[in-house]
This record gives sequence, C-alpha cells and structure tokens, in this order.
Amino acid sequence: MIFNEIYSAYYNAVAKIIAKVLEGKCDDRELGKIVARYAFGESVITLLPSLKSEKWKLITKDMKTPIKKKPTMPLTDIQKMWLKAVLEDPRIKLFDVQIPALSDVEPLFTPEDYRVYDKYSDGDPVEDEEYIKHFRTILCAIKNGRNVKIEMTSRKGKEIYVRCKPICIEYSEKDDKFRVITTGCPFVKTINVARITKCNLYSGDDVREVETVDESYETLTLKVRDERNALERCMLHFAHFEKRAERVGEDYLVHIKFNKDDEPEMVIRVLSFGPMVEAVAPQDFREKIIDKLKKQKICGL
Amino acid sequence: MYVLLKKFSDVEMLKILWYNVENTEEVNTVAAYSELIKNFEKIRNYMREFYIYGFKSRDEYDRKSARSYDDEKRRMESWLGDYMNFVRTPDGKNVFISIDSRVSKHNPFYRALKAKSFTDRDITLHFILFDILSSSDISLTLPEIIAGTEKYLSRFECQMEFDESTVRKKLKEYASLGIIILEKDGKKARYRRAEEVELPDITDLLNFYSEVLPCGVIGSFLLDKQEESESNFTFKHHYMTSAIDSNVLCALFLAMREKRIITAYNLSRHAEEATKVRLIPLRILISVQNGRQHLLAYQPEYNTIKTFRVDYLSEVTLEEVSPRFDELRQELHDMEPMMWGVTAKKKLHGEHNIQNVEFTIKIGDDEEYIIRRLEREKRVGQVIKVDDNTYRFVAKVYDTSEMIPWIRTFICRITNLEFSNKNFENQFKSDVEEMYRIYGIEEVEV
Repeated sequence: MIFNEIYSAYYNAVAKIIAKVLEGKCDDRELGKIVARYAFGESVITLLPSLKSEKWKLITKDMKTPIKKKPTMPLTDIQKMWLKAVLEDPRIKLFDVQIPALSDVEPLFTPEDYRVYDKYSDGDPVEDEEYIKHFRTILCAIKNGRNVKIEMTSRKGKEIYVRCKPICIEYSEKDDKFRVITTGCPFVKTINVARITKCNLYSGDDVREVETVDESYETLTLKVRDERNALERCMLHFAHFEKRAERVGEDYLVHIKFNKDDEPEMVIRVLSFGPMVEAVAPQDFREKIIDKLKKQKICGL
Repeated sequence: MYVLLKKFSDVEMLKILWYNVENTEEVNTVAAYSELIKNFEKIRNYMREFYIYGFKSRDEYDRKSARSYDDEKRRMESWLGDYMNFVRTPDGKNVFISIDSRVSKHNPFYRALKAKSFTDRDITLHFILFDILSSSDISLTLPEIIAGTEKYLSRFECQMEFDESTVRKKLKEYASLGIIILEKDGKKARYRRAEEVELPDITDLLNFYSEVLPCGVIGSFLLDKQEESESNFTFKHHYMTSAIDSNVLCALFLAMREKRIITAYNLSRHAEEATKVRLIPLRILISVQNGRQHLLAYQPEYNTIKTFRVDYLSEVTLEEVSPRFDELRQELHDMEPMMWGVTAKKKLHGEHNIQNVEFTIKIGDDEEYIIRRLEREKRVGQVIKVDDNTYRFVAKVYDTSEMIPWIRTFICRITNLEFSNKNFENQFKSDVEEMYRIYGIEEVEV
C-alpha cells in the first residue's frame, strides 16, 4: 500500500539521474550529489554502482540511457485520495488551491473517519476572510523575502504597530493556532496570526536588521517512576523534544531540552504526571512545582 | 566501511564510490547487507524503541539476534543520520533517536517508508514501462509492450529478459495502484498510463499538510516530485512517531471508506504474542498531546465497541463489507459526549458505567485566564461560576482516570474534588500527598 518501492528514495534518485543523463549531464560529481540528496547515507555504495555496472539496465557503461523521456509517473489512487482529503480540510482556504481534476475522487478520510480529541477549542478562525487575507500576505512576504506592516491587538488588549520581516509560520496542533516568527522588530518576535487586525506588504524604508538573539534553552531533568505505565506515557508525552533517557536503579532519568519561554507550560505538563514524575533539575524549575504544591496545600483537599 | 564513510567529505566519498564501481566484487560483498528492507514491520518496533525510550543497551534487544539488531541500527543510521545518537553507560552503548520537532521541518521518519527493497528487474521494468507508455494516449497490448522492452534491453551487453507473466503481473500491480489503466479491446487487453492530474503549485500545501494530516507521508511522496524549495512552516507540539504506523492507518481508512470488516494482529500490553482480531473499524482518535493514535472498532466476538492502539496493530487485511457499519458508527457517535479520551462505553454488571467528575478551583482577581484555560481545554462537561473567584467543573464520563492528568494541571488552586468513582478520588488525593512528600513540603504558612 504505502510501503511500496514506487515511492522509494531509490526510485526518485534514479529518476533524477536518468533526467540528468538525458540532459547530457552525466558528470560523476553531479550524479553523486543526486544520490546524496535524494537517497540515504549509505546509498552511495550501491545506487550508482548498480546503474554503472548495468545491474539495473537503465544506463549503459558509456553513460547513455535507452530511456527517451524524462521519467514521470502518474499520481497513484492513494495519492489522489489523500489530496482530496486535504482539499476537504477547513484550513485549505488558507492556501487558495483548487484541483478540479480531483472532483470525482473519494477522499481517503473525512472528519467522520478521524477526530483529534484533545486539541484546544479556541483554535484560529481559519475560515474568516480577514484571517485568510493576513495569512496569505504573510506567506507571500516569506516567499519573496519582503517586509510587512502589521497592526495587532496584544494579549492585554493594547493596539500595537509592527514593521518586521516574517521568517516562517509556526503551527501548533495542540493549540490549533498559527504564529508568525519574525525578525527586524526588537520587541516582537512571535505574532499570533489571529491577533492581527491589519497586514500589508511593506515597501518603505527597509526594516532594521536585528541581530538574532539565540533562543534560550534549558535542560529539564525528570525522575520517572515506572508505575501505572508512567514511563511510556512520559516518554510519549515529551517525545517531540530533543531528549535522552537513562536507567538509574529502579527509576529513569529523562533529560529534555526545552525553550525557556515555554517554562510555564512545561511546569503544568510535569504536574500532570503526579508523583510518578519528579522534576529534579534545574532547581528553579523544581521550585516552581514546589510553589504550586504549597499553594495547593493551603487550598486543602 | 560505514564508520569510515561518515568521516569523509563529499569528494572522498565519491572516490570510494568509484573504487566500488571498478571493483564489482566489493560491491557485491557490501550488498549482502542492504539499507533497504522488504518488511516494514520488522523495523517498526526498533524505531519506536529507539525514539520513545532509547535507554536500552544492545543486549536488551533480545527478541532478535544481535546481528539483526546491528543491521536495523545501521539502517536507521543510514536513513536518519544526525538524528541518531548514542550514549555510553556501564551496561553498554545505548542508541536513541532524538528530534526537536520545532527545528525539523519534515518528519524524518518518512524516510523509513521510502526504503522498500526491490529487485534489479523491478526497477529496470518500472522505468522502461513508463517510457514505453510515456503518454496516456499510448495504448498497447502485452506483446507490444514486451517487444518494446526488448528494444530497450538490447542496448546492454548482458541481457535481461522479461517473460509475459512477469510483465503482466507488474502491469496488474500498477493497475491496482491506479497508475496504469487496463482496457479491454475485444478479447485483447490494452494498457496505458493513467491520465496526469494537472496540479497547480501545491508546495506550501504539501509542506503543511504532510506534517499535520493523518498519513502525511503520502504528502511527502508528492513533495518528492516537486521542485525543491525550503518549507515556510515549522511545527510546535508536533508528534512524529505516528509516521511509522502510516501503513496500518491507511488500511484502516480504506476499510472505513468501504465499510469493511478487517482482520489484523493486535499486540496487547499484557501479552507476549500478537493475537488475530476481527473488527469493524469505526473511527480513528488522534492525540496531539501524546501523539498516540487509537482505533475505535466494533469487535463482534465481544459484541462491543473497543479501543485499540494503532501502533499495536499490524497486518491489516480488508475483508467483506459490513451491513452494520452505519448503525455502529452512530452508536459510537452517541457515546462521544461522555468520552474524555479514547475509552468508549463500558458495562459494569450489565449497566452502563457513567462516572461523575466534579472539582472546584479558586482564582485571583487578575486570573481570568485560568477560566479561559478551563473553557478551551475541556473536551466534555461544563464550567460553572460559583462566585467571582470560584469556579466548578462538572462532567459525566466513561472513564474518570483519563481526566486525572488534566485535573492535576490545576494543582495550586483545587479547593474541592468529588468523583463518583471513589477509588480514583482517593488515589488523586493520596497522589497529591505523595507529591508533597517527594518535594519535601511539610507545613505551609498561610
């Protein structure tokens, strides 16, 4: 089904190599680069030698090919069905894409077939016309290296005016929100698209180049007691971070690299595991948990 | 050789490559191990172990031979490169996969699904077939196609021949994938390539959806055919492990599309061996807070709708159409207002076991955001205002235990907690006491 050689890195690399040979570019270095780019770390050992030795009868020893046209392959049914499922997703309006040729194709899945059950309910209004306009302006600016002028409402309800250069759009599946990562503005780095009230490409004076300050990361160390399947739950829950685990006696230590800006969120994520997961370091992180527990003790239960 | 390769520059690597080309024996020796695989199932478990846990040493992978462990590890190093790490411990070298999903714009696990092995004949025939059938206007019979392949192959010193059965089988396989169209012309079968779908520029769309929709690897396959460009998207809270379950998930979606029964192997947490199950798949539940995917399916054997972890399922086979699909899906739909997580209705002594959950929190004068948190994070239930500084959350659910991690996130402000399931209530309270002990909190001054 999905695990099929027609989608494989090798087939893709070979298609690119044949196309190069057809263009008359069969320089060894060029072909080697294709293998390195489209296949895997060790493919260099097998892929080109298989072609050059005529094991795969697609390129002759004198670097000619009997293939006449640049290799192409039509879309498979499953690719069409997946694309159709994409076209039925509400976020598709952000991309201004129509594919009339897929009108008769059944989607691989619909919202009836799957549900993301734990995303937050205050996601972005992705079907709102103004929101779509802002999103597209930002995407256009990123693609063309342009600056933008943004008017937005801050978390505290204050009107803010920003000139900046958008670098990329970050999406959180849990929050169901898009954020613009920017440079050029010393006091705003991340902007929630939903907070934008006005957004235009900016052709005036160039936005000041601001030296990028490295994001501040910390390493959180958790001690995990493997009861009630806590180890698996914890490792899965924190799987999207750079992390390392080690066994220490009966327990496990998990070291997680996280962005300091996300500390409040991390504190409550650790709390959610109860006594099975203990924040060991850094000490100020541990203190934040202790502070919450002290407040809880005052509340009683 | 592999270890050496990692240390070489591009130029040096090419020198080694040409050494290999000129010394075919060497190529053959190396080929005894292949970075490509025939069966994905075999490596699926290793990938999960390395990514989710990553603290086991080589000796602990006792299910397979040491050679198998070494081969699988080497493959993953080849596919995932810098994402593979190791650490030395007194027990030996522990290999693990570590990925910061905010930095990686494309799911690296998709590469594993692009490592399917094939034969020399498969790849040769593939490119020749699509060159012969280079446009959907060209429609040929099997003998015409075979004659065509012979012309291509005559250019090579050492011959390769394709008999009728091989070519027919390949065309049939491609027809089942939808890339070749089989037409009947009287008694003769004619073959042509499927119509090309005219696609606008969908690079942004693919860069985004290949990471956020189920079976996103299909989007990644499509991206492979696009002109290269840097993705303009990054992802926060992005769980990537589900990629390695794409094959299973795709089969489940197809079964639901066609309202079919399936058989599959299910590995329960408490069993050593996977058991064969017969199910009517009804819905996939996906978590964006732990990355797990669950199948909710009717199991005729127990006459009930049950939950199965997709990562524990394998070898899914589509069977006959079920006439009960719509009725069962409606039954599941009716259950959802009482499902916090993935647990469906359970019967206890013949009765539906619905549990009441209630807790009260206090907020400060400037802590309205806590109420917004309650509202946006709750999946079922209601938030009731008691007074300006006190709010109560009430819900009826099938499984209280699924809510407990969320309720714990309000620790520091919970003033009252009542569950109809007293075991869970007592456990919650004793867990909080245990946390006081762990963090050394004794008396607190008010």
